[in-house]
Amino acid sequence: MTMPLSVTDCVVRSDRGRVLLSVPSLELGPGVSLGIRGPSGAGKSTLLYALAGLSDRAEGSIRWGDTELLALSTARRTQFRAAWIGMIFQDFLLFDELGALANASLPAMFAPRSDRSALKTRAGAQLAHLGITALKRTVDSFSGGERQRVAVARALSNDAGILLADEPTASLNRDAADALIADLVAKVRNNGKTLIAVSHDAHLLDSMDQIISLTDGQIETPSGARPA
Amino acid sequence: MIALWDGLPAETQDIALVVLLILPALIVGRIVLRGYAPWPLIGALLWRFRWANGLFVLLIAVSVGMGIGLLAQERGLRQGTAAAADKFDLVVTAPGSEITMMLAAVFLQPSDVPLLDGATYAAIAGHENVALAAPLGFGDSFGASPIVGTTAEFAIHLSDGRIEGRMWQDYGEAVVGALTPLQIGDGFIPAHGVGDGAEHDAHGGEELHVVGRMGATGTPWDRAILLPIETVWDVHGLANGHAPEHGEQIGPPFDPAYFPGTPVIIVRANELWANYALRSEFITDRTMAFFPGTVLGNLYRVLGDIRQAISLMTLVTQSLVAASVLLGLFILSNLFQRQLALLRALGAPARFVFAILWSYGAVLLVVGAAFGTVLGMIAATVLSRVISARTDILVSAPIGWSEIHYLAGFISLMTLLSLLPALAAFRKSIVAGLRS
Ligand SMILES: Nc1ncnc2c1ncn2[C@@H]1O[C@H](COP(=O)(O)OP(=O)(O)OP(=O)(O)O)[C@@H](O)[C@H]1O
Ligand SMILES: [Mg+2]
Repeated sequence: MTMPLSVTDCVVRSDRGRVLLSVPSLELGPGVSLGIRGPSGAGKSTLLYALAGLSDRAEGSIRWGDTELLALSTARRTQFRAAWIGMIFQDFLLFDELGALANASLPAMFAPRSDRSALKTRAGAQLAHLGITALKRTVDSFSGGERQRVAVARALSNDAGILLADEPTASLNRDAADALIADLVAKVRNNGKTLIAVSHDAHLLDSMDQIISLTDGQIETPSGARPA
Repeated sequence: MIALWDGLPAETQDIALVVLLILPALIVGRIVLRGYAPWPLIGALLWRFRWANGLFVLLIAVSVGMGIGLLAQERGLRQGTAAAADKFDLVVTAPGSEITMMLAAVFLQPSDVPLLDGATYAAIAGHENVALAAPLGFGDSFGASPIVGTTAEFAIHLSDGRIEGRMWQDYGEAVVGALTPLQIGDGFIPAHGVGDGAEHDAHGGEELHVVGRMGATGTPWDRAILLPIETVWDVHGLANGHAPEHGEQIGPPFDPAYFPGTPVIIVRANELWANYALRSEFITDRTMAFFPGTVLGNLYRVLGDIRQAISLMTLVTQSLVAASVLLGLFILSNLFQRQLALLRALGAPARFVFAILWSYGAVLLVVGAAFGTVLGMIAATVLSRVISARTDILVSAPIGWSEIHYLAGFISLMTLLSLLPALAAFRKSIVAGLRS
């Protein structure tokens, strides 16, 4: 269902050459959850982008299983993302003019025809599970928490093995956040997915298998392993 | 290949050309969109920038409408004037300018034209291949209607026999064109001259009576009042074309000795082929003979250069409009950067993102072209009405194949060109796009 992660000597620089992120080594077994914390501007989002193969400027090695992400062409990296990665962005990034279901099932628009209906069904089920009932209303009228849940449903719609979540609970109230945390953790436990979540939420971090802290682009606590 | 093409019926050629012209757009669309279902997203983006898009569509529509309207109008005018000259196979006049003579005889534009004498008329009328030789007498008017003296045969020929009421049988009787304000039974007093200079009391007070009304011909003759030419001569105090012992006769044959002269003789041959022979026969040192259709054709050829200049100008305007729309799309694609980066982050192939931008532009172009067609049709119809009202030449300018070809070519070219702004999707890196 998923694969291990191995990062070595990964450096991401800004356009001007400033080092935004430097990860000498990061290892994560398959089906493990990792929490990332750190102050604002530490490079947490930068790390998630790099792990998703979105960063053109990443150097070094990022391996998912047998796949060396940084050696792939842009097109192959895109394919890899479509097949393996579900992403929850820090600011949701929804299409305001589309409804909740259309947003959550966005990948269906470019998925192979045979996968489309399954993808839409999953997106609908996720939305229902997350308590979003207005499927057609355009999301520009949604509250922050509702938008976040739509973003979560979209990340889960392609049933990806790897979930990369940037502050997935930031806009949710405590109960909704806890429910989502329980959900995500269950996916890791039961379906053998890998979850990497950036968060300030102590509840979320507490539920992760491992936690790292980022400051100024450097990993401070190399890997604080915790009992599962 | 060329022989094969030439062998096809015109309709098939036209359809084939449309298909050929639109094919590039269809192929590009097929290649770009294959395997994707992006329409909800494109719709959403179109809706987001609806005001800008509306303006783009309007610009395209106006420029396309102008192009199509002008093309259709020009053709309509050509066909209308040609149709107006249809009944005038061969025109014989005194030597001079063919165009002036044609304008006078066919389009009833008043002008001073020299007369042909009775012997000349008799020679033409008596020719074995001549079926109809009608003298025309101009110079009088009633209100906005020119009065034309001629023969009953010509009136019947002109109206294809569609005369309501009856043909004139006597001096004081007239048959009017479909657009004259006179009704059957009305009386009127002709004025000497036409337009503002007409003298109203010049001919004494002899009242003439309308006995018939011709069906519409779509020519300036619809405004005309037709009289026996004898009446016209008589009103002017001239001999009436017949010897005193036949004084009451109306219509040919005329007696050359009592023939006051006619500026124009409309000739119809009994066989089509004879027209050419008649024309060469009637070109002498005292007469000129011409086919109005040919004169119009020459005129169109001269005007053809102007038409090409106009076409070129509309094409340039249209290209400019299209270019600015493409530039607008290019700028708009900047506003999409974040959404496009998001799509790529979600695993959308580059071609999908490209397809979104291209379809966006293509939709604007196609919608603009569609509105433009409607606009062009309306413009052409209104213009035709105005021209018809001003000239009495029936001009109708329906959209024809050349406009459809033009549209198809425009759409193809522009959809190909809008591949360029779609490339703008790949200017920025994904992360930069996500952070923008
Ligand atoms: N293209 C860039 N050029 C220069 N600096 C950049 C660029 N992209 C990001 N940065 C900087 O890199 C640092 C890390 O950014 P990042 O978004 O990863 O932080 P973060 O840890 O996610 O912060 P937050 O918790 O506020 O989301 C920030 O200081 C940011 O300003
Ligand atoms: Mg961040």
